[in-house]
Amino acid sequence: MQVRSVHSGSGLQLQAVAMETEPHPAKNLSVFRTTEADPARHSEQHAAQYYTLSPTHLRTVFPHGLPPRFQMQVKTFNEGCVMVRPPALEIISHLKKADYSKPALHYLLYGATGCGKTMSLCHVLHYCSTQGWLVLHIPDAHLWVKNCKELLPSSSRPSRFDQPVQASQWLQNFKVTNDHFLSKIKTTRRYVWTKRERTEEGRPLAELVEQGVNRVKSSSDVVGALLRELRLQAGQGDFRLAVAVDGVNAAWGKTSLKKEDKSAVLLEELTLIHNMRKMLNNDWCGGAIITALSQTGSLYTSRLSYLPQELLGQEGFDKMDPFVPVPVSNYTEKEFESCYLYYMDRNWLQHPNSKCECVNTSGGNAGWVEIASHVGRCWYHVTTGRRNAEVRVMVNVAPVNFVV
Amino acid sequence: MALYRLSAVRWSRYNPYYMEPEPRREVYVSEKEKDEERELKRVRPIKAATSGTSSSLFSDSVISKFINVMMQDGRKVLAREIMTQTLETIKRKQVEKYHTATETKKLEIECNPYNVFHQALENCKPVIGLTSIQRGGKYYQVPIPLTDNRRRFMAMKWLITECRDNKHRRTHMYEKLAQELLAASANEGNVVKKKHDLHKMAEANRAYAHYRWW
Repeated sequence: MQVRSVHSGSGLQLQAVAMETEPHPAKNLSVFRTTEADPARHSEQHAAQYYTLSPTHLRTVFPHGLPPRFQMQVKTFNEGCVMVRPPALEIISHLKKADYSKPALHYLLYGATGCGKTMSLCHVLHYCSTQGWLVLHIPDAHLWVKNCKELLPSSSRPSRFDQPVQASQWLQNFKVTNDHFLSKIKTTRRYVWTKRERTEEGRPLAELVEQGVNRVKSSSDVVGALLRELRLQAGQGDFRLAVAVDGVNAAWGKTSLKKEDKSAVLLEELTLIHNMRKMLNNDWCGGAIITALSQTGSLYTSRLSYLPQELLGQEGFDKMDPFVPVPVSNYTEKEFESCYLYYMDRNWLQHPNSKCECVNTSGGNAGWVEIASHVGRCWYHVTTGRRNAEVRVMVNVAPVNFVV
Repeated sequence: MALYRLSAVRWSRYNPYYMEPEPRREVYVSEKEKDEERELKRVRPIKAATSGTSSSLFSDSVISKFINVMMQDGRKVLAREIMTQTLETIKRKQVEKYHTATETKKLEIECNPYNVFHQALENCKPVIGLTSIQRGGKYYQVPIPLTDNRRRFMAMKWLITECRDNKHRRTHMYEKLAQELLAASANEGNVVKKKHDLHKMAEANRAYAHYRWW
C-alpha cells in the first residue's frame, strides 16, 4: 500500500520512489515484519508489524529501559523486535505536532498488567532518541521506594535520605544514553559537594555525572543538580528533553523503607523522589513528560487496579493533571496473528497446534501470550482457576467429561 | 470386554462400577467413540478427575510423573512451577543456539523441550539393576531385570538427587535441571555416568546372577 504525501513537488519525487520500493522487500519478510527501522516514519500502515532495533541502539538507548522478559527474548532470538501499536503511534504523532515553546505536556500510558505499556514507552523513547532529543529515562520508579539496603541521611539537607547505590547506577546508565550531550551542556551554578570537592559554574555536565559516579555518597545530590540543570536549559531551545518515567505512581504512593528507629520513611524525605517530582511538574518548556503507570511493582495497591485515579491517588492525579491519557489494551486479532507468526518465525513455538491454546489461556493479553507460548503454563492456570476475563473458544468441543 | 476394573488398586475407595475420566480432546472431537461406549457413559457414573490431569495440548503423562517425583511436602504448585521454568530454560538455550548456528548445524539442534526431556530420560534409564540377596550370612549384589516403571523411576530419581546434591547451592533448581537434562540428552553428565557405573557393576557381578530365583 502506498502512502501519498500531502504536498506534491519535484523535490519529493525521490521520496515517492523510495516508498515504492518498500513493498518488495516486505513481501519476502511477510506480513508481520516491516523494514522501516525509523520510528519517525511509523504510521497506521505499519500497525501490528514488528520492526527491528539495531544492536547499537539497544545498547545506547536502552541500557536499563527494557522489561527483563524482553531482554531475555532479545538474547534468545538474537535480535530485538518491537511491535508497532496504536498507543505508541498516538504519542509519537502528538510529539511531532506539539509546540515546544509552551510548558511540557504529560502523557500517561495506562492499562491492565501485561498489555504493553512499558514496550510502548520504549518505542516512543526510541523515536525521541533518533530525533536527537535528550532522553531522561527512569526505568522503574518503584525500585527507588523499596528494598533499599543503604539509606544514608543526606549530607546537604537535614531531613532527607539518600540512596547512593540506586542514584549512581542510574547516573551510569544516563551517561551511556546521553554521552554526546554531556559535553555540550554547561552548568549554570557552582555546586559544593564536600569541603574539597566542588563543580564550578560553566563546567560541562559530563564532569557533574563523573562526580556522581565516582563519589557515590553525593550521587543523589548530583542527580538533583543534573535534573535542575536540564530543566532550566531545555527551555532555551538547544535540545529537547524527554522525561520518561515508568511506574510513575511510585512518586505519590508509599514506601516500604524504614529508618533506623523502625519508623516509616515518607516519600518527601527521599532525595531521588523529591527531585523526580520536581521534574514531573510541568513548569518547564522544551520537551515532553511521557509516563506509564505500573501496578506490578507498586506497594499497597490492589492487584486488579489499573486506572490512573486508583493508582496515582488524589495527590498524584492533581499533580499530573492535565495529562493526555493513552489507554493500552490487549492484542487485537491482527496483533495476535502478527505475534504468533513472529514466534513461529523465530522457532519459538514448538507444538504445531499451540495457537488456540495460546489464545484461550492468554485471552489476548500481550504478557500472558508470551508466557503461554512456551509450555505448560496454560494448564497451570486452568487448574488453579486463574484465567483472564476474555476467553475465546476456537474449537468446538463436547462438554462431557471435560477436565478443562 | 472388561466392564469392571479388574485390577484392584489398594487405596482406591471407588466402587469398581465407576469409569475412568477421559481428558483427551481428540476422543470427543472425532467420531472415534463408539455408540455402545457413549451409551455406557450416559448411564454409568464416572470418577472425579484428579487436579493433575489436563486436556491441554501441553500436558504430558511422563512430565506429570516427573513433577510428582520432584514434589516435596505436597507442594505441587511449586514443583510444577519449577518444571515449567525448566522447560522454558531448555527451550531458550536451544533456540539461542539455533539462532547463532550455521545452516547445517541448525537441523541437528532440537528446540522442542519435550523431545529433549524424553531423550534425556531415555538416556538415563538403566537396562539392568542390582539387588541385595542374602546367601550364607553374606549379602551379594545380584544383577536383576527391571520393569519399565522401575527404570523410569530410577532415571527420574537420579536426575533430581543429582541436581539437589551435587550442584552449586546458589543456582536455582530449574537452571540445574535444565543443564542436567541438556547434558543427558547428549549422553554426557553425571546421571548418564551413574547409569554406566551401574551397568559396569552388574557386568562385574554377573557371576552371582544365578542367586536370583525369580
